[in-house]
Amino acid sequence: MRKSNGHSFTWKTFTESRLFLPLIALSLILLFDLIFIPGFFSIENRDGNLHGSLIDIFRNGSTVMLLAIGMTLVIATGGIDLSVGAVMAIAASVAGILMNPSALKNEVFFVTDPNYTFQPLWLVIISALFVAILCGLWNGVLVAYVRIQPMVATLILMIAGRGIAQLITNGLRVQITYKLFTFLGQGWIILPFSLYIVAIMFVFTWLMTRKTAIGMFIESVGINFRSSFYSGIDEKKIKLMVYAFCGFCAGIAGLVASSNIKTSDANNIGLTTELDAILAVVIGGTAMAGGRFSLLASMVGALVMQAITQSMYAIGVPAFALQAIKAVVVVFVILLYSEQFRSFIRKFSAPKTEAKP
Amino acid sequence: MMQQISKFLSKNRKLIPLWSTALLALAAYGIGAYFFVGMRNPQVFFNLFRNSSYLLISAIGMTLVILTGGIDLSVSGVVALTTVSTAVLLREGLNPWGVILLMLAMGMTMGGIMGSFITYLKVQPFIATLAGMWFARGMCFFISDNAVTIDNRIFQILGKTKILIPGLTEIAIKQGNPPPYVSIPVVVGFTLFVVTIFIAHYTRFGRTVYAIGGNEGRNEQSARLMGLPVNRTKMLVYTFNGFCSALAGLALSLFVFSGHGLYASGFELDVIASVVMGGTMLTGGSGYVFGTFFGVMVLAVTQALIQFIGSLSSWWTKIVIGVLTLIFIGVQTVLANRKVGRQAAQSPEVLRAVRRKRLWQGIGVGAVFVLVLASIIIISQFRAASIDGSTENTQCDVKPFRESEAAGLIQDGAVIVYHRTAGPQCVDELFAIYPDGRVTGTDGVNKVEKQVTPAEVEHLLTVISVDHKWFTADIYSTYLTPCRQCFAHNISISYDAQEKSATGVDGTTAMPPGYAFALAEIRPLLPVINPTP
Amino acid sequence: MSEPDQNILVMEGISKAFPGVQALDDVGLNLKRGEILCLVGENGAGKSTLMKILTGVDQPDSGRIFLDGKEIQAKSPQHAQSLGISTVYQEINLCPNLSVAENILLGREPHKFGRVDWAKMNALAGETLQRLLGVDIDVTKPLGSYTVAIQQMVAIARALYMASAKILILDEPTSSLDVNETQQLFKVMKKLKDEGVGIIFITHFIGQVYEISDRITVLRNGKLVGTYDTDSITRVGLISKMIGRSLAEFDEMSKIKLDSSKHIKTEALLQAREFGLTGAIQPFDLDLHAGEVVGLAGLLGSGRTETANILFGAEKADSGSVSVNGNLVKEHSPLGSIKRGVALCPEDRKAAGIVDDLTVRENIILAMQANKGWFKYLSLQEQYEIADTYIQLLSIATPSPDQPVKNLSGGNQQKVILARWLATNPQVLILDEPTRGIDVGTKAEIQKLVLSLAEEGKACVFISSELEEVLRTSHRIVVLREREKVAEFAGEVDEKTIIHAIAGGEA
Repeated sequence: MRKSNGHSFTWKTFTESRLFLPLIALSLILLFDLIFIPGFFSIENRDGNLHGSLIDIFRNGSTVMLLAIGMTLVIATGGIDLSVGAVMAIAASVAGILMNPSALKNEVFFVTDPNYTFQPLWLVIISALFVAILCGLWNGVLVAYVRIQPMVATLILMIAGRGIAQLITNGLRVQITYKLFTFLGQGWIILPFSLYIVAIMFVFTWLMTRKTAIGMFIESVGINFRSSFYSGIDEKKIKLMVYAFCGFCAGIAGLVASSNIKTSDANNIGLTTELDAILAVVIGGTAMAGGRFSLLASMVGALVMQAITQSMYAIGVPAFALQAIKAVVVVFVILLYSEQFRSFIRKFSAPKTEAKP
Repeated sequence: MMQQISKFLSKNRKLIPLWSTALLALAAYGIGAYFFVGMRNPQVFFNLFRNSSYLLISAIGMTLVILTGGIDLSVSGVVALTTVSTAVLLREGLNPWGVILLMLAMGMTMGGIMGSFITYLKVQPFIATLAGMWFARGMCFFISDNAVTIDNRIFQILGKTKILIPGLTEIAIKQGNPPPYVSIPVVVGFTLFVVTIFIAHYTRFGRTVYAIGGNEGRNEQSARLMGLPVNRTKMLVYTFNGFCSALAGLALSLFVFSGHGLYASGFELDVIASVVMGGTMLTGGSGYVFGTFFGVMVLAVTQALIQFIGSLSSWWTKIVIGVLTLIFIGVQTVLANRKVGRQAAQSPEVLRAVRRKRLWQGIGVGAVFVLVLASIIIISQFRAASIDGSTENTQCDVKPFRESEAAGLIQDGAVIVYHRTAGPQCVDELFAIYPDGRVTGTDGVNKVEKQVTPAEVEHLLTVISVDHKWFTADIYSTYLTPCRQCFAHNISISYDAQEKSATGVDGTTAMPPGYAFALAEIRPLLPVINPTP
Repeated sequence: MSEPDQNILVMEGISKAFPGVQALDDVGLNLKRGEILCLVGENGAGKSTLMKILTGVDQPDSGRIFLDGKEIQAKSPQHAQSLGISTVYQEINLCPNLSVAENILLGREPHKFGRVDWAKMNALAGETLQRLLGVDIDVTKPLGSYTVAIQQMVAIARALYMASAKILILDEPTSSLDVNETQQLFKVMKKLKDEGVGIIFITHFIGQVYEISDRITVLRNGKLVGTYDTDSITRVGLISKMIGRSLAEFDEMSKIKLDSSKHIKTEALLQAREFGLTGAIQPFDLDLHAGEVVGLAGLLGSGRTETANILFGAEKADSGSVSVNGNLVKEHSPLGSIKRGVALCPEDRKAAGIVDDLTVRENIILAMQANKGWFKYLSLQEQYEIADTYIQLLSIATPSPDQPVKNLSGGNQQKVILARWLATNPQVLILDEPTRGIDVGTKAEIQKLVLSLAEEGKACVFISSELEEVLRTSHRIVVLREREKVAEFAGEVDEKTIIHAIAGGEA
């Protein structure tokens, strides 16, 4: 039975959708927490703001979630962006220096006044994001026009980017105390403020990709760029846009991250987060070869990663042992997907087509 | 003449990146020797090898992996894991030779596991080795949270033995100079280098490695159709790289005599950059192990140059490496430009014209970058001249913390004792603040004293202990080898019948924020100790 | 049949079906020792499927294969190789980054003290090339530095060296060779033939068929038309067997009147002048009028697809010009063409047509959406309406418009692509092999559709290997041969003349 718009929602659509496995994974982890970690789900109300482990998952995962938004689109075109961590650092450096340029004079001038900032907030944010978009454009040009492989092209900025970030802050860590800025990562309006940033970005991106033709074009280019070419889609422009957008997301993530630790630390901000972002997208079911993507699934993927981290902390697993556990989980997930793939094909290959003459 | 050169170039196209890297390394060293007297010391030249032996070892293994068209991101993790495991096992008293063998076996096992995931379970190399890296680093901290020193005698011997260069020794002695030397890891590295070249060019395994890579994955299929043992070769390649990573880790432990899970951060990028600059394409199938040596040299020379320039910090290395990698990849892409198969055959003249244009474009881009780089170096020279203070030309030897002295000062009544080492001037300064407002400072040679009000001291103590929660679990020690500009700190506070010391290093977010705040509070009160000129 | 001794290979009763199409229907062939057999047929005839079955890439639904009297069934290409069936493909399955010697010998290379003996290997490779093929080159240079012709020789050399081949299959080997290289290849083939190797030579160059083969097997639409001694069939006869009606039917209906429609206008919607691309298609002139269907006839490799591509702007021509509606086209690109009302339904459905993971609906509106740009997104309701319209119009068999297009049969996929281009409401519609691999009923539908589009005032270009189709659907026929436009027919035409034009050379 088909409805007039031909779109029917059944249980089957849900199980086959991209969202299924990540949500199952997330539920399993939360279930585990429910059973083994007392008080994990408790939410307390402090002065009108909600706090708790559950909230922390969202808050601490916001950087990866932001990165995953941009990374999903890049991976959907069949590419990858390894430089997002470095771009985070660059954006954070730009912001830091604009608020506290003392580092340029070779001093680490510690600002104790939370209302002090060298430049107004709007200028700080816009400059940082502008630079981040430039980085993204750089990547996009290398990939789309010079035709360098995405992994190789973005590797360059990954290596050099941290150097550039340190160049901006003259090699020193810049302390950030400007209250309005730190609100980005540490503020609370009932829920952590960074959550709202993530939500806004998510909605914006969702609108951009699903309410315009951009999403369809991205998928088309990722699945088969030749057919897309014949259909009149300009693959170059799509790829350029997608990398620039990824840079933009990385810029926002960098601002949030630096406001969280109140420093712009070129060495460590975003270190290894590019890998977390890529994995969030992979867990979310977007194939690394490109094609169909789901922003929501990538978000859930990021949450899965963060939930694992949080749960392990709550149990008392030491910080860096966590990395080893993450590694195991990641491999397990990858295998799960490929097994699923294989059994899927087996189930469906009966009436389906195989190689054609 | 130009025609002859271009003819030679087109015949040996593959070798161009290799020789240009070699030229670059030599040229960079030459420029450095021209500007800096210190670099003309032959020992400095041989120190290049000593400092980069572990990079070379790892890059050799990585070359084979990349030749198959794969990649291995786990090297930094395995290296760190090796250093930590080695240090701890030695501390527990295991036989050093046994430890070495065990580490190599561990490296091979890890490589083998990743290799089987990649080969048989068809996981992408990027992801599989990434997981491997995380796993290895995680294991580091399972073993030990802090850095562990190695003082095993045999390791000390292995690491510190000077191996003289035959031929140069007599010349040096005649000139009255100390004979130049290298270390055992360097010899090991070179041996591995020679062996791997042999493997790559004289064994079926090596040739299969070349056969698998390249041509965007089509080669692998062809190799299978040709009946070559593709799966076995892929497995072995990752196992071999695991071996090399472990060996590199051993070389590193022989160099710094300690092990820590935070070592070799970002190392995999250096390794990949070396391989790429040595002329091996990341797509695989093309490149020479021989070239990797030059790639490593470029990195080593860059680092040495930046040290000598001094005013630039180590982060410039990263930019330079990134830019160089870009140039090489760009040139590689241009030179390897060959339209395969599907498109309509174009006339050879058209193709040649297109390729020539691309070649000049590539050379133009490369030239621009080299010019920019050269001007940066020259400009920084002028900046260096204007900045005060002659900086040491050698690596800063970070002094250990004077814990007993600090404890003594506290017993004498100091409430805050602050020891600071490293930094741009490579200092070693010990400060003490007393409740009566006296502030003393000494660097072992000079002593200075300053007076502040007791109220200020009291205020300081309150702020540090209450606002920054000095005596709670929020403050703890962190440590790692400081960067060129960074200081290492050891703060001891005695207040309200409580005593607590904590160490920290600039340039890391591992340091708890409260620590940084405390530091910032203390600093303004400190007197300046002028070093003896 | 004949003495089993003479036949080194017998294939009988081979059938293979894919969903929606019968690729092979009771096909058989036999290959004698020391003979060169040409396998010919247009696209979709079943040549590649038959060879895939022989070499173990695919398994037949029914039928048997006998090699040297023994029944075999190759399970994989390597297995086939070990049985003595070697294949050299158009895309060389070797490693271009390794040296020639390695490509020939790697896997059985000579060793000395545990290490590869390069000297011996190079000598052996050089000697093999000399002895077996009469080719003398520097075997230490990388394979990729040599022309395709030499690479093919090396591939043959490996095939012969590694597993003494009983049968050598050469799949379109001459497509990338020039005249001299082709002669060299033929010399090698004759040498091998003298040594008793059986060779199956697949090609679409009719001239070469006559030059080198002993016998010819013709396939058409999955069926075996027949096997003939090369000496006893004329070129015209051969071609008519491949693409047209039988020679006998010919003489009966030699005069066809191409239906000149009243709807054809005089002004040209599209005009191409001296339009060409070096190496793909010689400069040609072409006018397309509203209301007419121009059929492009010619054999595989004659340049039909290339013509279509440069008219559409998918490839850039390097000579001449084209104008649409009187306006000269300056920046040629697919998007530009779509905006100007020119559409191309490409030949390669899988690679350049469908976006397989996208749904039917998305595939249909894709080009239309590209025309509108990024931001003027067709609302979902509009999309479904358009999709439903075309699903109905073209009778596309799909459970719903949200079915991923990869799940549809080949014929229905073709209809989806057709729908995509129709949706852009073009003035000029170029269709490259729109009925390939499609069942008979759908073929007729599509042909009728093309004619009705013309009646609506569009200009259509209809490209097909089936001459019958072209005749039935076109008002005017343009003939291409060896990348050159050689003839144009309108009004009353002699079908024989057309075939002669296609065949070229002597009858």
